[in-house]
Amino acid sequence: MPKLIIDDQEIEVASGTKVIQAAEQLGIMIPRFCYHPALGSVGACRVCAVKLLEGRLKGVQMSCMIDAQDGMVVSTTDEEAVDFRTHVIEWLMLNHPHDCPVCDEGGHCLLQDMTVSGGHGIRRYLGKKRTYQDQYLGPLIRHEMNRCIHCYRCSRFYQEFCGYRDLGALQSANRTYFGRFQDGILDSPFTGNLSDICPTGVYTDKPSRFRGRRWDYQRSPSLCIHCCLGCHTIATGRYREIVRQEARFSEAVNGHFICDRGRYGFFYANHEARPRRARVAGDEVSYDQALQALKAKLAEISKRSGPGAIACVSSDRSSLETQAVLKRIGRMRGWRNFSGFMPQGLAQKVQLAVARLEPALSVSLRELEGADFIVVVGADPINEAPMLALALRQARRKGAAIAVIDPRPIALPFDFQHVAMVPGAISLGLGLLARGSPDEAAIEKLGPPVSDFYAALPTPEVMNASDQKRLSPLIRDLRSSRRPVIVCGTAVGPATVVGLAADWALLLQAVGKKAGLFYLLPGANAFSAGILSDPEDTFEKTVEGIENGSIKALMLVENNPFWQFPDRARLEQALARLDLLVVLDYLNSAAAQQAHIFLPTATLYEIGGLFVNQEGRVQAAQRAHSGGIPIAQSGGGGHPPRIYGAGVPGAEPRPAWRTLAELVEEVVPPDEARMQSEVGVWLAEEDPRFADLPPFAELPEDGARLNHKRDGASRFLVNWTAELQKSRGFDDSFELLAVDWTFGTEELAVYSACLKALERKPGLLMHPDDAGRLGLTDGDEVAMQLDRGTLKVPVGVVANMAPGVIVLPRHRLLEWQRLACGRIRLERDRIRKAASPQGPKP
Amino acid sequence: MLDEELRGSLTRKIAGIEHPRELVVDVMFALQEHYGYLSDEAVREAAELLDMSPLEVDEIATFYTFVYREPVGKYVIHVCDSVICWMGGYESLRDHLCRKLGIRLGETTADGLFTLLPVCCIGYCDRAPAMLVNRQVYGCLTPAKIDEIVAKLKDSAHMSGE
Repeated sequence: MPKLIIDDQEIEVASGTKVIQAAEQLGIMIPRFCYHPALGSVGACRVCAVKLLEGRLKGVQMSCMIDAQDGMVVSTTDEEAVDFRTHVIEWLMLNHPHDCPVCDEGGHCLLQDMTVSGGHGIRRYLGKKRTYQDQYLGPLIRHEMNRCIHCYRCSRFYQEFCGYRDLGALQSANRTYFGRFQDGILDSPFTGNLSDICPTGVYTDKPSRFRGRRWDYQRSPSLCIHCCLGCHTIATGRYREIVRQEARFSEAVNGHFICDRGRYGFFYANHEARPRRARVAGDEVSYDQALQALKAKLAEISKRSGPGAIACVSSDRSSLETQAVLKRIGRMRGWRNFSGFMPQGLAQKVQLAVARLEPALSVSLRELEGADFIVVVGADPINEAPMLALALRQARRKGAAIAVIDPRPIALPFDFQHVAMVPGAISLGLGLLARGSPDEAAIEKLGPPVSDFYAALPTPEVMNASDQKRLSPLIRDLRSSRRPVIVCGTAVGPATVVGLAADWALLLQAVGKKAGLFYLLPGANAFSAGILSDPEDTFEKTVEGIENGSIKALMLVENNPFWQFPDRARLEQALARLDLLVVLDYLNSAAAQQAHIFLPTATLYEIGGLFVNQEGRVQAAQRAHSGGIPIAQSGGGGHPPRIYGAGVPGAEPRPAWRTLAELVEEVVPPDEARMQSEVGVWLAEEDPRFADLPPFAELPEDGARLNHKRDGASRFLVNWTAELQKSRGFDDSFELLAVDWTFGTEELAVYSACLKALERKPGLLMHPDDAGRLGLTDGDEVAMQLDRGTLKVPVGVVANMAPGVIVLPRHRLLEWQRLACGRIRLERDRIRKAASPQGPKP
Repeated sequence: MLDEELRGSLTRKIAGIEHPRELVVDVMFALQEHYGYLSDEAVREAAELLDMSPLEVDEIATFYTFVYREPVGKYVIHVCDSVICWMGGYESLRDHLCRKLGIRLGETTADGLFTLLPVCCIGYCDRAPAMLVNRQVYGCLTPAKIDEIVAKLKDSAHMSGE
């Protein structure tokens, strides 16, 4: 632990700390351009010069390149160092176009700050400036190369940190150019970060271009709700709309960056079609009228058919407050409360994951970066939770071996081993790895249940030779690892895998490895939805209840089954039978349009809210603006209409939890602050895991992890005979998997126009062997014949997936819900080449 | 398009080494030889051969002086602008070349014979000022010597029927 003096202040830092970091710990911000904590030091820009007065090294040095050492005396204010920096700034500014008035970076530009603070107020250089041609980089990032000061942050972030290969440094010396080989949309799903890390205006945020200066905006800490990771964001509001989102640093979750789905997924909140008025029977009414109508109707149904005829469905995109109030009022009134998880078996998997994530096993996203061996099972990181892929890459860069066991075609920005297995075989694969992982003598000593579990693990013979061969190098890596982590998804694998992942992690810990467990869940608040939903009930049962007449009224809270429920025809018939369909939402969804009573709700940008990420971390988003119709919409580009009245126009949407609370008078608290503390009490009553949470107003920046209760009873229970049965697969048919993609399948982000150009063309993916057997080639149009109709889709033939499985994205452009698919079997003769209009090819 | 023979020989060469991208300069020169310069098509082909992205190849191609990303003349004259040649009068020689050929640095004569480019040090400092024409080095340059060299190159181009 070296101790050094910086500007007359003594500080002790961890060894390996650079002088620039040590100064930062003292609150001294040494100027920097190329240095970034996530990217490390390169010493390219020369602006972080300081003078070393005492110690082994003396004189002007780059503070980002020098390790803090004992006895070092550093001056950041020494005349020579200041003079050095002043000249570096002037020299970096030689070619800069000084176009701050028309540059979107102006106002929060590091180069502006450094130029001013470096004392370079007046330009002396009168020569010609170097100019560049800019490139089209896609809908998210605007390119303006003339402003570049060659710090290399962009290419280092893009290539080294993220692992994408289409943006980099071209040419040399004074002509160095950061760009692509040719104009075109950037490949990486993390491009928005370029606008955050560029110290000047070379990469600026395109959707918010010319919308305002930093000081015009209302900026507040928020959260991303476009997957389960709970990355930290800064929401930026102006004129009643969200105009931009940036990454917010989080030590535990996302680090410095976020993905493009999270950054640009917010446009649903501003959408023109967003419903802002309450509706009863299709007519717009006041909020209070709708609420009264709803109360009366619910009372009537409850009286006629009993409170059990009313079903409430929560969702994994609702805030914790909303989920808690729904649970509370349901309990008070005797209504049924169903989980909002739509695909078959998903609710069970989520609840199992939530139960099995013990505190001793759980690792955060940032902790994952420190693992030295990672097995990803039944998860597709870049498509389901892109920031997970970035964390995995950081682990890989530090030397971790990474393997993915998943039937889907997996692409990740680093080298990894993909073992493509049919979903039914994944548990066998995991079992084999578990058998190979520890030394048997150590297990014997542990005694039951660990030794029994180990003894029952499958032996290699149960698996075909090629899968065995692919797994054996993993066993070698695993044996030599010290900090292995199992990343387990809930989307495609069977429920056994979820439990087995936890068992295996426990086993690894038992033999002395620092093993971790990281689950992926289906939505932003899936963790709490899993805790709060009745364990036995699923949305499928809700539909059954409607079909058999036991459910007369359905209240959908921020939930749109038309998006997720895998059987559209059945859903439509069921909803048509209802006496009352109530929808509370901020989306103009198909369900909202069919609702008998509709009440608009506010988004997290207008009210804030608590969300529990996949590791049980309760985090808070703050209100970013106070709602209303965006002035850009009401004013059509000019002055908004002069209508006199109290309140903000279009601000009728209320927090869903507030509307729900008002349904049950005795619940309504007088103010929001009291409401929050009340919610805390209810949650603690509902489940002991919520009991240790601090008051929500005092939640730390990185949130607080729920205190998981240890679920010893569900440990080490795997029926291997049943697993062997499942692993056989289907000989004469396909297993159809409906899957998520980075863009185009997430319900909220599909409202963002700027993300549409990034969507891949959706199609049916299959293995070359299967395509060959069906006589199909890549790009063919096929007709899938199903019980409920036919779906025509193009075929993509990809080698890096499991044979016997076909993969279809839950894409907004495909009516995949018509297929009645979840994880289903499909006979091979149901897929045929679609007859082309010109007739069959010879 | 690459002919099969060249593609085959490059593929064999690449298959023989552990890290294909180490051969990127060799492959670029081979393709430059084939096309006359490293065209966009050639960058893509090199990328494909070496399992790199076109950008990664282009990063290296545009870094090096002797990889030409635009069409060049039959003779590429690299006139050295490093410090020793500068002391030896590089600037006046450069101006002489420009006048003589009727082009500026970075340009090609209308007849397609000469391209004039600067180069920073060709290791011929002991005979500065110096220049390089199609990898042939000329030192102790004077305007008269340059006239002589240019005339000779023109003659040999005519002889070969250009």
